[in-house]
Amino acid sequence: MSAAEKALPRQPNKPFYFNTSEHLLRIGRERATTLSELLQALQTCPEDSIFQHTFRTLQEHHFIRQGFSNDFAHWSLSCCHEPVLAEKLASVDVREFTAIEGLRQRMKEIVEEFLQKHPRSGSRPASEPFFFCASDIVVLPTAFVADSLAGFLEGLRQVSVHSIHHHFIEARLRLHLMSNDFSQWLEEEAGLPRTADAIERIDIYTNTMESVRQQIARIVEQAVN
Amino acid sequence: MTSQEQRATTTSLLPGHQNGPEATEAVISIAQPHPPPPVHGNSRQLPASLLTPPAPPPPPHLEDYRNIIGQAQVDALRFLAREVKGKTIKMVNSTSVGGGVAEMLNRLVPLLSELEVPAHWDVITGGNDFFEVTKAFHNALHGSTYELTKAAQEIFLMYNEQNRERLQFGEEMVVIHDPQPLALVRSRQKSHANWVWRCHIDLSNPDAHVWEFLRPFVEQYDAAIFSSQSFARQLPVPQYLFYPCIDPLSEKNKELEESQVQKICNDLGIDCSRPIVTQVSRFDRLKDPVGVVQAYKLAKKYVDCQLVLAGGGAKDDPEGAVVLQEVREAAGNDPDIIILDLPPWCALEINAIQRASTLVVQKSIKEGFGLTVTEALWKGKPTIAGAVGGIPNQIIHRLTGLLVHSVEGCAFQIRYLLTHPEFARRIGVSGREHVKENFLITTNVKRWLLLFRILQETKSLRPA
Repeated sequence: MSAAEKALPRQPNKPFYFNTSEHLLRIGRERATTLSELLQALQTCPEDSIFQHTFRTLQEHHFIRQGFSNDFAHWSLSCCHEPVLAEKLASVDVREFTAIEGLRQRMKEIVEEFLQKHPRSGSRPASEPFFFCASDIVVLPTAFVADSLAGFLEGLRQVSVHSIHHHFIEARLRLHLMSNDFSQWLEEEAGLPRTADAIERIDIYTNTMESVRQQIARIVEQAVN
Repeated sequence: MTSQEQRATTTSLLPGHQNGPEATEAVISIAQPHPPPPVHGNSRQLPASLLTPPAPPPPPHLEDYRNIIGQAQVDALRFLAREVKGKTIKMVNSTSVGGGVAEMLNRLVPLLSELEVPAHWDVITGGNDFFEVTKAFHNALHGSTYELTKAAQEIFLMYNEQNRERLQFGEEMVVIHDPQPLALVRSRQKSHANWVWRCHIDLSNPDAHVWEFLRPFVEQYDAAIFSSQSFARQLPVPQYLFYPCIDPLSEKNKELEESQVQKICNDLGIDCSRPIVTQVSRFDRLKDPVGVVQAYKLAKKYVDCQLVLAGGGAKDDPEGAVVLQEVREAAGNDPDIIILDLPPWCALEINAIQRASTLVVQKSIKEGFGLTVTEALWKGKPTIAGAVGGIPNQIIHRLTGLLVHSVEGCAFQIRYLLTHPEFARRIGVSGREHVKENFLITTNVKRWLLLFRILQETKSLRPA
């Protein structure tokens, strides 16, 4: 962190309200027993399903450091035995999308391209079907409201990893910005744009959500001290 | 000792089976503080203290879970409950004791009430004829063929009608568990409640006649809940996924002192100084205990270990006794195979055995959800399991455990885990986190509160 940035922290204008989101899993109508059926269902399933199998599944598996990205990639490998497709699907970073429709298109393109190159793979039966699910979401308050950077750090350390996911990963769907709630607040309310940038660059696919929390805390501490 | 004497002779433990020298040995064994375990081949004499069920401990309070799930999760439950505070839930099932549903309701109902969402639990009544019919329905829904007669339909409807007249439905949410009380939904016209059907069984391949008879009732509910995506049917009502769960504070899952684990294992003749491979399940062909013995024998060529097969069901199930005999024959005279036919109340002993294990196997050929897998994962044990039923929901291959499809695959993974302790530790840690996130009773309390809130909000949006 530069000396200039260290001089900049100011009393935030607005407090940061730590919220969290809880999800109830709904079983959808679509299911796929082949990659062709997966492609078809990717086009017709509700946005809630795309959210569930990409954004939300990261939260469900927040404790895994490597090897889990999204349900489509996991199924392509474990049930269709297509490692090339699985790697391509797993490389999609949900944080590059501020709307579900864009993410759906990307997933669809990857499967489509793969099946054009490997048409026989389209009809080969998977060992287990892919069941499309969706999430009903309820946003809840937490006991933490921060009106200072010290309070922000305290809240950050105390809230659940679900809250971290809510503010750090799901936020871009709410904000429709390539950012997150923490970075937004640190930049706009605390005058810490570089801190905000550093937080946005944390790799969520090679970290558990707990280590994401620790990295955010470390970056903010460096700016404060 | 002759080879005949060495053959597995698992001891009967249930009251009424205590005659003969084995019972005498058991009584003597508890009179000494640390008796050496009597060893006869792979059978083990069990302590007499296991002959009668212990008194059940009082149910825990929400605060008791704080050290396990964290303050933030306890807070989330309280925030969720606030929106439905004072609104009431009725749970209805067909038995108050025995079975997973009653066990779960025994914990769920007090926790919901503690969150100021009063929950009432009613049990339907019926004659033997009713329960014979519903048992047959249960098996038919699981895929057995069944000739659905008019008489069976009438018995089912008659007892549901009797219970409908007896029960009141003044609550805001009524939850009907399993098919037995399914037709109580006929009362929904007279109630203002949301009606939910919680199906604990696998409906993926039901007998068509039984399903067509029951489906019109299911379609009258506001929502249906299943234990796995693959257990659900295409229905015109919203379907939710509630995984079965374990209670981390129950006798079977609570933390134990190392000395307590050691003592229980000593009493059961298990050597804690050597690697222990364990499968906990009743003696049932679908759990493939003979396959586990074969896998152990293949692995044993390369690595030293003991195999513990801890289960029950051989006393009250004729097929269980046959399977137990098959397991004994497969085990032969290997003293490192320990077969324990335990009574159903030995939860603490199962807990200790799982905790003492180096790794746990659940090599099922067919499975419901597989709560023994959940129990092993919760204890941080590297777990190898058949990729069937609800097991793949719990075991993500190489991340939270290992999935296998054959005896040979199981044997290889036993060898691998016993010789790669760091990998074993890592998947054990992830497995425990997976359970903490998805398969604890507190997560299910949260699911019920979420569902209650969502259904209440949906109802308030409906035109009057």
